[in-house]
Amino acid sequence: MKILTCPLNGPRNIAEFTYGGQVKPMPNPTEATDQEWAHYVFYGDNHIGVVREWWMHTPSSYWFIVERHNQTDEVMRTYDPAELFDPGASPATEPVEADS
Amino acid sequence: MPSLNLDPAGLPILAGLWHLDGATARHDAVAWGYAKGATQRGVELHQLTEVTGVDIEAGRVTGVQTNRGKVSCGCVVQAVSGLSAEVSRMAGFQLPIVAYPLQAMVTQPVKPFLDPHVSSSALHCYVHQTSRGEIVIGGGSDPYPLYGTRSTLELKEGLIASAVEMFPFMSEMRLMRQWAGITDMTSDYSPIMGLSPVENYYLDAGWGTWGFKATPICGVTMAEVVASGGKVPDLIAPFSLDRFDAFRQVNEMGATAASH
Ligand SMILES: Cc1cc2nc3c(=O)[nH]c(=O)nc-3n(C[C@H](O)[C@H](O)[C@H](O)COP(=O)(O)OP(=O)(O)OC[C@H]3O[C@@H](n4cnc5c(N)ncnc54)[C@H](O)[C@@H]3O)c2cc1C
Repeated sequence: MKILTCPLNGPRNIAEFTYGGQVKPMPNPTEATDQEWAHYVFYGDNHIGVVREWWMHTPSSYWFIVERHNQTDEVMRTYDPAELFDPGASPATEPVEADS
Repeated sequence: MPSLNLDPAGLPILAGLWHLDGATARHDAVAWGYAKGATQRGVELHQLTEVTGVDIEAGRVTGVQTNRGKVSCGCVVQAVSGLSAEVSRMAGFQLPIVAYPLQAMVTQPVKPFLDPHVSSSALHCYVHQTSRGEIVIGGGSDPYPLYGTRSTLELKEGLIASAVEMFPFMSEMRLMRQWAGITDMTSDYSPIMGLSPVENYYLDAGWGTWGFKATPICGVTMAEVVASGGKVPDLIAPFSLDRFDAFRQVNEMGATAASH
């Protein structure tokens, strides 16, 4: 079994987790054009390399961030979203810098 | 269906759907059959030749770079399934495609007992017996994206549990092989066919988990696109790349992709 380390619950079987998509900057929903919004919803950088993703520990409904190589399936790091997002800020205005 | 368990996993089978014109085919034999037919008609196939770059001048493709040198061309049809997003990057644009592994496995051969292909949409598992007697077991995609073709224990355990629910005697059998392919998934489970942001660069991508059965009509239709210099036949107009920009997704998931 593959083990993923949840920042809240520690190392757990991968079957306890739900994948939630790549972390990508969300345009401001009230200002974005339909096309910008469509791009945000449907497109992503599906390039081979290290990707930053949302994952949830399903039994505890806890969402966190995983940095994973999407070809070797090696997990580099898992951490709480507070490292990327200021909990007090509006999500619409919080840009996320992608690194690879 | 003699050995089928009519009460699998406490989900009794109340009715079944008999797909009269459904059939299975040996996919490798079909691919080699096409390769043979095409080369006899003058098509050159270059094996072990990987496209590593795409040359574009003033919005038009003029050639592709490969590990064996450059090939000039009048147009390109990109049909690289799991690597669709990677290759389109070489041509300078993104595709709304995510790569997910799809796994399957084969048991040791046994005497013929199963003629039709049996699929349970409740268990998300299909079972059929090949002409060599092996039993092929397959089902849903991996739970998260990956550009790798490793097999996982989790998928095997889940699929075998479902297959044994359907045909309990299979618990006595042994697995012989397992494999995975990288599938090019779109958010509406439908392909992307036709034009791309590069003028003479055509797409046949996003077939995901169900592109085998569409191969013949894809070939004919993409040949029409090439021969007409980029005129898109009505048949594939709904599958255009720009449907995503207009939130015009194709409503096909239940009909074709989920269970086959
Ligand atoms: C386990 C499994 C079970 C499946 N079961 C079914 C089923 O029951 N029914 C069904 O209809 N479909 C099924 N499919 C899906 C089906 O196999 C695919 O949709 C179909 O093969 C895609 O065809 P294609 O011609 O688009 O791509 P492929 O047949 O994958 O061909 C793409 C080709 O592009 C080449 N390529 C990639 N990158 C490059 C590059 N940079 N340069 C040069 N060449 C490149 C690859 O080597 C490959 O030969 C299954 C798939 C899997 C993995």
